[in-house]
Amino acid sequence: MIDKFRKLLGSLRPEFYHRTAEHLNPYFTFTDYRKIWAIGVFLLAATALVPLIVVTIIHNQLIQKSVDSEIILRTERVASNARRAVTFFLEERLNALRFTVNEIEYDQLTNSDLLAEILRNLKLGFGGLTDLSVIDHTGIQVAYAGPFKLEGKNYSNQIWFVECQKCNFYVSQIFRGYRDLPHIIILAKSFRPDGTFFILRATIETERLIQTLSSYETGAHADIFLTNRSGIIQTSSKHYGKIFEKMTLPVPNFSHRTQTVISTDGQGGSIITGYAFISTQIADTPFILMVIKQKAGMMGAWQELHSKINWFVGLGIMVIILVVTITCTFMVNKLYLADRAKAETMALMEQNNQLASIGQLAAGVAHEINNPLALINETAGYVKDLFVIKEQYRKDEELMENIDYILEAVERCGTITRQLLGFARKFDVKIQKVNLKEVISDVLHFHNKEAEYRNIKIHVDVPEDNLEIETDQGKLQQILLNLVNNVFQAVDNGCWLDIHASHNGPDKVDITISDNGCGMPQENLSKIFEPFFTTKDRGAGTGLGLAITYGLVKKLHGNISVESKEKEGTTFTITLPTLIHEEISEDEGSIGR
Amino acid sequence: MKVLLVDDEKKFAMMLSKRLALRGIDVNYVYTGEEALVMAENSRYDVAILDVKMPGIGGIELKRKLSGLAPGMKFIFLTGHGSETDFEIGSAEAAYYLAKPLQIEKLIEILHEVTE
Repeated sequence: MIDKFRKLLGSLRPEFYHRTAEHLNPYFTFTDYRKIWAIGVFLLAATALVPLIVVTIIHNQLIQKSVDSEIILRTERVASNARRAVTFFLEERLNALRFTVNEIEYDQLTNSDLLAEILRNLKLGFGGLTDLSVIDHTGIQVAYAGPFKLEGKNYSNQIWFVECQKCNFYVSQIFRGYRDLPHIIILAKSFRPDGTFFILRATIETERLIQTLSSYETGAHADIFLTNRSGIIQTSSKHYGKIFEKMTLPVPNFSHRTQTVISTDGQGGSIITGYAFISTQIADTPFILMVIKQKAGMMGAWQELHSKINWFVGLGIMVIILVVTITCTFMVNKLYLADRAKAETMALMEQNNQLASIGQLAAGVAHEINNPLALINETAGYVKDLFVIKEQYRKDEELMENIDYILEAVERCGTITRQLLGFARKFDVKIQKVNLKEVISDVLHFHNKEAEYRNIKIHVDVPEDNLEIETDQGKLQQILLNLVNNVFQAVDNGCWLDIHASHNGPDKVDITISDNGCGMPQENLSKIFEPFFTTKDRGAGTGLGLAITYGLVKKLHGNISVESKEKEGTTFTITLPTLIHEEISEDEGSIGR
Repeated sequence: MKVLLVDDEKKFAMMLSKRLALRGIDVNYVYTGEEALVMAENSRYDVAILDVKMPGIGGIELKRKLSGLAPGMKFIFLTGHGSETDFEIGSAEAAYYLAKPLQIEKLIEILHEVTE
């Protein structure tokens, strides 16, 4: 499984990722293709991604800002409206009390029936009032109208009584009091003709106030309630504490105006708080109106959009990276392949140059050897002639034999120099009559020794002794040499190599080179003449030998084909015309493979 | 049959001429083209065996000059190099073209062939 995965990974790896054959390194334009690839991917991705990311961030911030200010605006509006409503609610009732104490005499107010009448009228006019009472300057409740029996009660030690002595009007915080129900009391102070003061006190139900507040509530994530200036919750809050308990948020700083601040609640959530210190024109009140919106809840729709945009951007980034990577890989690979092809060609050219130099060297050596050799030949020949002609030596077999050894050795040297010269001549381009049998035996000459060592049996079958064609001998030699080289590389010791040449119709000849070596799989057959195709280890072969061979055969206006069976052997068949009329262009030639 | 052998390789020329003489061939040898021309002016030769590459007058040039002096003279070229160009010109200009080292029997055969 892991092996399979590795194999897959290996096949996905681009060519340039692999190590290059070392002999090609000097010819490469660039040395580190992986680095080029990495820089390419980085630069392209950065060029595409940086603007995208920057724009996305700016856009997010802008949206965030505008959403924030929108929420702040809405919170402020709600707080402002609710403040006006609460202020109005209290002011209205304070005004009613002021009107009553200004218009009605103390003596009349202390009349319980009249007080009850006034309460009834006030209830009709404004509503929300529970009871009405008159308290004299000693703190004794002298008259009472309402559902409870509270007449004669002494309030002289109540805070509100003390407070009211300092000012004319008073609004209490919400408290339970004797009756054990949350209520607010409002007071209006006035003076009797004798100069002593009295207080008209009204109790306001909190129901109406709570209703008024809750009408401003705007959904599950919003909270609206009253607290006093020390942070004790006055009307019920959804999230920030129970009534008459300390609210979990800090008491805001005093301000005459409605304010909005962004802060965090105890749990770390971001909240927007709108608050207003409630103060009527007649009297100050202990209330602070709190409008609190949880940002997370308010931003729900925006969050959804935001996450959609983020997904889209994220997906975009991934696609960009993928496309950039694929494009870069493709381009760098193309570049690498082109560069490698160039490097291969240059390496090959150098090899050719080397071969040509060797050829020249060979020719030079041959020439230099040839003259002394000719002299040895003639001298030895002359000695032999003398012996043959002079009777006394003619019978001496040992002498004759030795002279023959010299002549044989000279003959062998001559063969070598002729071959060297033949090799040098290979680089000339020339169409001439070529005897196939001779060419084949010339080529095989290079391999005789190896064949002997490796016990490879070479069988040449050319039925016609004078099988001649007009062609470029050098190229034909090269073709045969490459193919024979190929066979020697492909077969094991003890195999056989068979070369057969014969006419194929009046104007064509066939040369087949067969072996019983390892053969090759069918899928490789179609690729075998492609440049750079090699089954050898990376770096061991250039994969050019058969490609060059193919090119040479084509230049000689011939055809080459291959048949092979795995483990049975391979047969190359070259078909060449017996005559070439056109000039063959001069070009490369090499033994490389 | 009178043969003129021209080769700048002095010992070679000497040895070859001795061998030819042993085989009953009347042969004179010289080492340069100039000498050869002098020889040809003084006597008549049937065949000239010329080395292709010689200092001064080369084999090919010498052949032309000798042809001018003595029309009907046959030529055999010798070479130690055997390059393509030599072969081409040699084949065009002369009856035979032989690479060194020589096989004496072959040369004798050719000499008889050209003088027939």
